Amino acid sequence: MPIGAELGIGGIDGHKPRSQWQLFRSRFLKHRLAVFSLILLILLIFACFAANLVAPFPANQQDLVIGAVGPNAHHWFGTDELGRDMLSEILYAGRTSLRIGLTVAFLSTLLGTLVGAVSGYFGKWADQGLMRLTDLFLVIPQLVVLAIAIQGFGSTQVVIALSLAALFWMGEARVVRGQVLALREREFVEAARSIGASPMRVVFRHIIPNCLGPILVGATLAVAGAILTESALSYLGFGVQLPATSWGNLLSSARGYVGTPQAYLIYFPGMMILITVLAVNFLGDGLRDALDPHGSNG
Amino acid sequence: MKLRKYLVAPIAVFALLSISLAACGSNGSNGNSAAADGTLVVGADQEPECLDWVATCSGTSWGSWAALVTTLPQAYFSHASSGSSAAYVYEPSPLLAGEATVAPGDKQIITYRLNPAAVWSDGVAITSTDFKYTFDQIMSGEDIYDTTGYANIESVETPDPTTVVVSYKERFAGWKGLFGSGYGIMPSHLLDGKNRNAIMKDGYTFSGGPWKLDGGKSGWKKGVSITLVPNENYWGTKATIKKVVFRFITDTSALFQAFKAGEVDFLYPQPQPDWFPAVKGGIDGATIKATADTSSVEALWLNNSKPPFDNESIRKAIAYSLDRDAIVKRLFGPLGVNKAWQSFNPPIVAAYADPAGFSGYTLDLAKVAELMSSQGYAKGSDGYWAKDGAKLSFTLKTTVGNKRRELTAQILQAGFKTAGFEMKIKTQDAGVLFGKTAPSGDFEMTLYAQVATGPEPGNCNIFCSVNIPTEANGGSGNNWTRTNVAGLDELLAKVDVETDTAQRISDSKQADLLTGLSATSIPLDPLPNTLIFRNSVRGPVADNATLGPFWNMNLWTLKG
Amino acid sequence: MIQFLGRRLLYSIVVLLLASIVAFVGTRIAFDPTARLAQVRDKQVRERERERLGLDKPIAVQYAKWVGDFAQGDMGTSEVTRQPVATMLGSGLGYTMQLMLWAVILSIIAAIAIGVYSAVRQYSAGDYIFTTISFIGISIPPFWFAFIAIQFFVFQLMAWLNLSRPIFYFVGLHSTGASGFNIDYLQHLFLPVLVLTVQNIAGWSRYQRASMLDTLNSDYIRTARAKGVPRRQVITRHALRNALIPVVTVMALDIGLLFGGLVITEQIFSIPGMGRIFVQAITNGDAAVLTSWTVVAAFFVLLFNLIADLAYGWLDPRVRVA
Repeated sequence: MPIGAELGIGGIDGHKPRSQWQLFRSRFLKHRLAVFSLILLILLIFACFAANLVAPFPANQQDLVIGAVGPNAHHWFGTDELGRDMLSEILYAGRTSLRIGLTVAFLSTLLGTLVGAVSGYFGKWADQGLMRLTDLFLVIPQLVVLAIAIQGFGSTQVVIALSLAALFWMGEARVVRGQVLALREREFVEAARSIGASPMRVVFRHIIPNCLGPILVGATLAVAGAILTESALSYLGFGVQLPATSWGNLLSSARGYVGTPQAYLIYFPGMMILITVLAVNFLGDGLRDALDPHGSNG
Repeated sequence: MKLRKYLVAPIAVFALLSISLAACGSNGSNGNSAAADGTLVVGADQEPECLDWVATCSGTSWGSWAALVTTLPQAYFSHASSGSSAAYVYEPSPLLAGEATVAPGDKQIITYRLNPAAVWSDGVAITSTDFKYTFDQIMSGEDIYDTTGYANIESVETPDPTTVVVSYKERFAGWKGLFGSGYGIMPSHLLDGKNRNAIMKDGYTFSGGPWKLDGGKSGWKKGVSITLVPNENYWGTKATIKKVVFRFITDTSALFQAFKAGEVDFLYPQPQPDWFPAVKGGIDGATIKATADTSSVEALWLNNSKPPFDNESIRKAIAYSLDRDAIVKRLFGPLGVNKAWQSFNPPIVAAYADPAGFSGYTLDLAKVAELMSSQGYAKGSDGYWAKDGAKLSFTLKTTVGNKRRELTAQILQAGFKTAGFEMKIKTQDAGVLFGKTAPSGDFEMTLYAQVATGPEPGNCNIFCSVNIPTEANGGSGNNWTRTNVAGLDELLAKVDVETDTAQRISDSKQADLLTGLSATSIPLDPLPNTLIFRNSVRGPVADNATLGPFWNMNLWTLKG
Repeated sequence: MIQFLGRRLLYSIVVLLLASIVAFVGTRIAFDPTARLAQVRDKQVRERERERLGLDKPIAVQYAKWVGDFAQGDMGTSEVTRQPVATMLGSGLGYTMQLMLWAVILSIIAAIAIGVYSAVRQYSAGDYIFTTISFIGISIPPFWFAFIAIQFFVFQLMAWLNLSRPIFYFVGLHSTGASGFNIDYLQHLFLPVLVLTVQNIAGWSRYQRASMLDTLNSDYIRTARAKGVPRRQVITRHALRNALIPVVTVMALDIGLLFGGLVITEQIFSIPGMGRIFVQAITNGDAAVLTSWTVVAAFFVLLFNLIADLAYGWLDPRVRVA
């Protein structure tokens, strides 16, 4: 796992190098699809979280007279059976989906990094124990854990986010552990240790900052995974519950319209999930390429 | 270039497959459509858990509709009366040789005379011993679903094979619903002394109805279908349809799609709004029959013992905040159901309902203002009623994953907002809502349906103050709304035991009026039942809110 | 190698045991098997049931009994259907295996073909198209894809070709009354298998492409080419075999996880396999079924992990020596 192993270790050939950040930025900017995705994501996040300013109609504004009408100049994405503007509903619902995606990514990255760092740095029984735990989490089907947690604690957004986070840290932990194993014998870590820095300090000040790259890539994957899994949960009826809306539950509550003239109610929420996840994946791809110029073209 | 080979192979396989499939598919409806081979395919959105009808595992409606009513005899059938009234009537089934007789006097003694022609599918006569066996199983068996009514029986006597005498230790007004409705008479000559549950739960070979399971146990392919074929030894009108298959499509929204795609010929779906628009325009070659004369009343249940709805004026204000007719029209308009229901007695017992109490509550914001200010409330700058700086806000709890309820809740929320009430929505698992939240009174307002199991009035179970769940009765009462209205208990208790119909109607109507006047809870709508079937299905196809539509399927025919 | 496998096997059993503990305790916390009796008017019924199921005993005792029974093939009885859990899961596995078999065969063929093509013709128009499609395949919500597939392959096709019956079906694996392997079966199989495979084809073809590129750029392939071995032979005989090593490992691991993906597919297409058993067990709070279901699913993941190890050893001689 050589990704990023070269990072943060001074320059090449002794002369003052362009800073790590500049190198990274210039390489990232060359990945046009990733840049475009980043811009798209920023716009999307803005549009959703500022929905009360951006959306053409207020949240949950019903128009029982018109009912469900297809996309038109007034309602770009059409309206649902209660006459609610789908574009506005999708923007409002995006808040929940994005919030869950971002929260899960943050929490699972934090947890994964912690587990991976402890496991890799301390080795021995800590490593054994934590890696067995990781295996255990990889073996039990995700949906089982989610469904049981949600059944047991109720399907609130907090429970959903926490249980998703509890399922997305394993990949991150393995990656970070590999990084830490590679880094811990390096000179600069040895040096820090020899001047008496505590293990905590070594890990958090010297090792983790040097594997931020792979951590970041892992985090983008977690965003994508969380949004997809939340939508799957919604289909099974365990996702975010009304009146709160998410793209997943907008989509699953429209599932009866397959094969009817109202099929547009299925197209748009799904399209939003697809676009978001696609952009996140492209972004992750761009980050990976920018961090690992020698990497394969996978 | 040559690398194309790797790609070409799978693509070619796919293309070939698609073309050959297209060729097969396009030569029309020679496959398995209803008329062609005499098979009727019914799409069922629920699979029974077992076919041992008296056991706790049998509580699914589709199980009794599809396989109980069709294979086991019952004493009485209930169905819509042929007149203009919505009310259901009881009629002796072909098993009986006429109406059962009620002995005069205080003690309730019912005598059934059996039709001597009635036989099981193996040719053995159906006798009074089978009634006794059935009663004994219900009262002494383990794991019994419900003993209501049977527990009132003192003895079942069998003076001769065609006479059954049932004596009650406590009067039971709904006696015609016993030995039927959810249970059926079971063959003692095949089951007595054996393990009834083991023989019946996965499907049984015997039948005392017009249909039998195709091959006994193999008639129920778990997860896939239940198949019925005519019982050749049925003593009544023999069935003409060669085979009826109930296919389980448990994703309810896929039911309607399966009908459109021709995979099933007959639907009896739950009223869910996502298929209403498609029904409204009609479907080529299909008949759609919707009726509001059903056994379910969907209602807003208010907790009468907890603020804010322990206050009668606020309950009334809530009732005046809603245009219930408009809500019902919004929900069920495409099915032709446009009127709110004004009683907790469902349409099938309409004769026992008095709509006068609730029909007075129509959308009237002036009345709301008057009632609210009489209680010291004033509208705040946010448009919500408030008292001493506290906004009046309440939460509606309803079952999770029911799209119709979710929509209803959202319409209500908008309506209440206009009237100045903040309503929050919380959805819960049905098990939690009915097992915990409602019994423990942990709610302000709930939304669910009250379902009558037969054409019997009587809401003492849910409205008598003695049935309020308390420590004393082990939390077992079903008066979850904690309704406690002076004079109501006596009336409702009488309805449960009174056998004189005129008196029973008058008591029930008075009780209705009382609940209406104090707005203890608010009825919304009867849940409509809908039948959707291909025009090739002929005969007296109609909804039966108590037995399901398949009870008289032996009279149906299929026409090509 | 044998020793290595032995160690892995032992380790897998330990993880499986741990998983069963988590599953057992989790379902016992989340579900009360007697909850459905809450509304039975006779309160004694529930008490008797609790006693019969041994719910009054400490959880460790309950688990010990459960694990003992399980080891003897007795997975208990469903509290809802009163069926032996082993029978239910057995019947479910039958359907699930059919789906998995076809899905796996199809994904492997398609993924390898696409991966090889994209690698050999890197940066060609075809490569870009496949790259884009596979990114979409990875990012698409599977159940949305299923809806779209039903909308187009069933209803739009019927409308365009003016058919009275669809070409592809979406209920079950057979039409009413049909059985066996025939055209009707394939018509039913097409959509669920398509939904199950799309993510794997997308993911695996990316791996195959990357791995193939690595191999093609390696020294020995260059040498072979320089020596004048025909291009096609280099690719099929040398590069493909080596490129498959890491891909096969990933495939085996993913096949184990496919079990989870079946939940949604089987629910949408009304196929009474393991996935739908799971959904019904969750909805009905059927703890006995859930516990065993989880252990069986975990078993599959571990089994395919082992297969991945084996395949790796078999394909890569260096591992065999070590």
